[in-house]
Amino acid sequence: MSPRPGFVLEVDRSTPPTLFWHGEGFRFERLPEGARVVYPPEPLDGLVDPDASIRHALEHPLGDSQPLSSLLKPGMRLTIAFDDVSLPLPPMRRPDIRQRIIEIVLDAAAAAGVDDVVLIAALAIHRRMTDDELRHALGDRVFDAFAPSGLLLQHDAEDPGALVHLGLTEKGEDVEINRRASESDLLIYVNINLSAMDGGHKSVATGLASYRSLRHHHNVRTLQQSRSLMDRHNSEMHSSNWRMGRFIKDAGVKIFQIESTLNLDMFPSQFAFLQKREWEWSLLDRAAFHASRLSLDRTPPRLARQIFQSMLSPYAPTSVQAGEVEAVHDVTLENLHRQQLVAVEGQTDILTMGLPYLCPYNVNSIMNPILVACLGLGYFFNLYRGKPLVREGGVCIISHPTPWAFHPVHHPSYIDFFEQVLAETTDLIEIEKNYEHAFATDPWYIHLYRTSYAYHGVHPFYMWYWCAHALEHLGAVIIVGGDRAAVRRMGFKPASTLADALEMAEDVVGRNPTITHLHAPPLLVADVT
Amino acid sequence: MKALLVERLVHRFAAARAAAFVMGSGSGIGIGPLRLAEIDPPKLPGPRWHRVAPRLAGICGSDLATLDGESSRFFEDIVTFPFVPGHEIVGIITDGPDAGKRVVVEPVLSCVVRGIEPLCPSCATGRTGACERIAFGNIGAGLQTGYCADTGGGWSDELVAHEAQLHFVPEAMNDEAAVMVEPTACAIHAALAGQIVPGERVVVLGSGTLGLCTLAALRRHALPSALLAVAKYRVQRRFAEDLGADEVAAPSELGRAVRRMTGTLALASTAGRVDRLAGGADVVYDCVGSARSIAEALEVARPGGRIVLVGMPGMVRVDLAPLWQREVALVGAYAYGTEEVPEGRRSTFALAFDLVAEAQLERLVSAHYPLERYEEAVRHAANAGRRGSVKVVFDLRREDPAWRRAAAPAAAKRRVSRDNKKLETSA
Amino acid sequence: MSVRLPRIVDDVLSRPTWPGTLPRPLERRNLGVDYDTAWTREPWARFLRRAFVDNVTRPFVTALTSPRVFGREHLDPLEGPVIFAANHSSHLDTSIVVSCLPDRFRRRTVVAAAADYFFDRPWKAALWSLALGTIPMERNKVSRQSADLAASLLTDGWNLVIFPEGGRSRDGWGQEFRGGAAYLAKRCNAPVVPIHLRGVRPVFPKGGRALRRGKVEVRFGNPLRPGDAAAQADREEDARHFAARIEESVALLADEAESDWWSARKRAATGRTPPFRGPAASSWRRAWALPSSARRTSSARSKSSAKPW
Repeated sequence: MSPRPGFVLEVDRSTPPTLFWHGEGFRFERLPEGARVVYPPEPLDGLVDPDASIRHALEHPLGDSQPLSSLLKPGMRLTIAFDDVSLPLPPMRRPDIRQRIIEIVLDAAAAAGVDDVVLIAALAIHRRMTDDELRHALGDRVFDAFAPSGLLLQHDAEDPGALVHLGLTEKGEDVEINRRASESDLLIYVNINLSAMDGGHKSVATGLASYRSLRHHHNVRTLQQSRSLMDRHNSEMHSSNWRMGRFIKDAGVKIFQIESTLNLDMFPSQFAFLQKREWEWSLLDRAAFHASRLSLDRTPPRLARQIFQSMLSPYAPTSVQAGEVEAVHDVTLENLHRQQLVAVEGQTDILTMGLPYLCPYNVNSIMNPILVACLGLGYFFNLYRGKPLVREGGVCIISHPTPWAFHPVHHPSYIDFFEQVLAETTDLIEIEKNYEHAFATDPWYIHLYRTSYAYHGVHPFYMWYWCAHALEHLGAVIIVGGDRAAVRRMGFKPASTLADALEMAEDVVGRNPTITHLHAPPLLVADVT
Repeated sequence: MKALLVERLVHRFAAARAAAFVMGSGSGIGIGPLRLAEIDPPKLPGPRWHRVAPRLAGICGSDLATLDGESSRFFEDIVTFPFVPGHEIVGIITDGPDAGKRVVVEPVLSCVVRGIEPLCPSCATGRTGACERIAFGNIGAGLQTGYCADTGGGWSDELVAHEAQLHFVPEAMNDEAAVMVEPTACAIHAALAGQIVPGERVVVLGSGTLGLCTLAALRRHALPSALLAVAKYRVQRRFAEDLGADEVAAPSELGRAVRRMTGTLALASTAGRVDRLAGGADVVYDCVGSARSIAEALEVARPGGRIVLVGMPGMVRVDLAPLWQREVALVGAYAYGTEEVPEGRRSTFALAFDLVAEAQLERLVSAHYPLERYEEAVRHAANAGRRGSVKVVFDLRREDPAWRRAAAPAAAKRRVSRDNKKLETSA
Repeated sequence: MSVRLPRIVDDVLSRPTWPGTLPRPLERRNLGVDYDTAWTREPWARFLRRAFVDNVTRPFVTALTSPRVFGREHLDPLEGPVIFAANHSSHLDTSIVVSCLPDRFRRRTVVAAAADYFFDRPWKAALWSLALGTIPMERNKVSRQSADLAASLLTDGWNLVIFPEGGRSRDGWGQEFRGGAAYLAKRCNAPVVPIHLRGVRPVFPKGGRALRRGKVEVRFGNPLRPGDAAAQADREEDARHFAARIEESVALLADEAESDWWSARKRAATGRTPPFRGPAASSWRRAWALPSSARRTSSARSKSSAKPW
């Protein structure tokens, strides 16, 4: 049976309760009659022979580009950059698509006799990846061939010797990227386009950039004008990246972009019910759901986190394309929309969403309150094309336990941001003006970013700015089931149950509001008309 | 007259110590050396002495240490048994031409009080707190009123005091404010002992009475560029913010807060803890007085910095390797005397009167008890922070004692004038 | 508070100090190449070793590696002492070779082991020489002393297991075979049997911290004698050339192991046997070209072990 597209359900009295994600756990919520639920499409079938598809893509590139084999010559300098641990979410089962692609690329490079090859994790100002995470993404063969000789690098945005400033775009934006990458004869980028925000020129212009470059598009004003982050044609953030990407190309950096898309087969079989529509759950699904819910309620948070973080997705690749950046990315987006696009008519007063335990920045880690806000108001709010799902001045209701907990190794600057900065003010402009520079240049955070496994000092600010569009657009944000002090610290309203939250929302949007629930993950892009 | 008496009964001290070890400070009060007794009022030791009837008498950390049996053996030679505790006293003179006037007692029993001439070198320069004759003269050994068998103490109906110990209380100042003068004087003396150079970064560990008064004293008499208070309990946090702390941190967040304040790096393992700082604060005031607090102070004082011990009544075990390697100065600050301030030489008590009025420190008095309920009073004082209180006092006023009225609501719930977001009111 | 021993115990246990006024000669320590292993070849020691190998080493090796042995028939015609020369990638190599030798050889075998690694402490020297019958030998330049010892043992009828690479492989490819085995073969007129061990590196590589199970194959090759090569019929082949010939035969066995006997023979005939020391290329390409049996992590073991924090 061919996979069904996504659709919008009208809730009536016969509708069973809706599954809401709630961090490391789930809840059933009864939405009032007349509410809508946006369901993502079912997973498409993956490629029959991914390796063959990859080889085909490499030899039949898109846009103004030669086949890979003709670009590889002995004596050349080759650099292969790849997306870091923040993709895909959740991490996929072995072999990761990056492993497949890079092994095939290296076979070609070995056959061509290329000696000088370096691999770089394009993590911008994210945390460094651990050996286990690198092994998982690249496979043992690639890891064992490159890591022991120091040829597997992680981008260091704070090492002046490892960066090169290429110049300024026509709008005066600094373009400063990884030196090895820019000085190579060929830079191959291996991307996973999980969401419509990834890929294209953003891969190199952000993934291999420094703070000096990033601050031109990771700032409040730019993000307020990114409507939405999933729609690059209407996103200032992407426009800036595209300018920088074209500048990099004109500066002589030769990039061979390889992009892949995945289907939405996100959850392993024991959690299959998370992908099915509630009224189609079999007996096994219902049993599995209730068993999970009950046992998770009794599980201590730390253990629950471990259980969920060790979950691997059975993702299958649905397309691979290679060649010139812009041509490749257009095809990638077509494939992505084929899987994720859902047509939605009209906006709503209240948008509800249940947030899962995972966002790009807490893989194998703890989801702290700032990341909850970022996932909800930065990512999920932006899963639209055209108009936001919720009207201006509307209310967004988020369901997540929002614990006042931080991972001390991964997120040290987040702790200080939460304790010191948010305690003073939650206003984005104020925060950007008064605090960003100090955190971005603090030597301790830089030290931890470079030598430990910590996100850069400025990263919590970017998480907060990611909510800029949402915070400008919405009338109120309510978090159901969250730690009250943490929710208040962020300037949002805490509620104990969804019913209470809907009551509180009526104070803002008026009586008898329209409600839409975003039934994600799996990811979708709402095409709102 | 009624009085609380501490007698030299070694087995009772031991029992109190065991109880305090097992169940926390103040829990040995029932089996300890303190009891309520009917005794004769003390005799006047000489012509310049007066009888004083206490109105309010505070319970101090060093009193609690004595009652827990935790006091250092160092004090054995400068205390005479049996004694009536209580050295934070506001009372009324009951004899002589000044009868009826309210006074605050300066408890240190220095040369003048003891009738010793010529004055010892310390007293001669006005540093009465460091008097070198505290076991001699025409009264028994005793470092302060409240530790001497011959003078009596505040936790009773009557004591005797030398005229040099008496400071008149201005009319406008109420009893609660007056009883705060003595601890404030300790705090001012300690604050000035830190010799803060303008622009230095200062941490105050502990936000009980002494910590909060030290905060207020630092704000008034020094110019730190950053002032961090470490407070465990909510009531302490609020007062700390109100009395002038730039930032207030919980004890578990001390390392991180000082790191933010000074912008230094941390010598931490990759487990993410921030315990030891490479740099640190210029001056750290330890107003807790335990082994742990000194260890914490050593973790956050910068190399070449100073730690001021504002109270250390017991014996502690401390690893001094950081002190040596980082060339940190450990300075004791005790009692009061005369201070050098920009305005000139003034007695600490005079400065204390001013500060109590300015900072409205009477707000720190949280609970009043009659002598008869001394067990509850001591337990409350030992758990003050946890119970939302700061200073606990004995109320000996005959007319309208505060413990007869309903509990005073004002002090703890005072609204803070800062940005509302800092104030996490209970939901 | 420190604990003090009773005075008399202290007096017995403490060694007296040498008077400063008396000269003291430098003694030869019984370590390294000077370690005397003769005691391990006494009957009682050989009995113990045999019991240990039969009851501990062999079952352990079988359980861990399930070794398959090929080419034992090459050993049938051999009498008298034999030098076994094997490739070296793991500390387990010695145990595996010793376990797979036919009994008549195993009974009277010594193993040349690096003097600086296995004989640097008295307890280590005793342990390895007793458990495996090792004799100390220098890695690089073999001294007269160790060469004489090995030669005398061979003459006495002892078989010798030696790893001509001198140490374990770093990157999975072989290293140049040194001349020690060749020299001894010439001196004592003993045949050299080349051995190839396949699949040991994933089990316990150099720098590895844990043992992993894996399948191992042991191949015995045709015995070689110095002066065998037709081209050298007249001249005495020198040790260096002979060592190279031994290396080639191990390379041939490696080729057989990865493909099959016939293709390997054909390639050998045309000189296209894959080089023992790997391709002349950068480190990543050398690693890339490794067969899976020589990689640190074999493909069978690619389950994710990513531990959540």
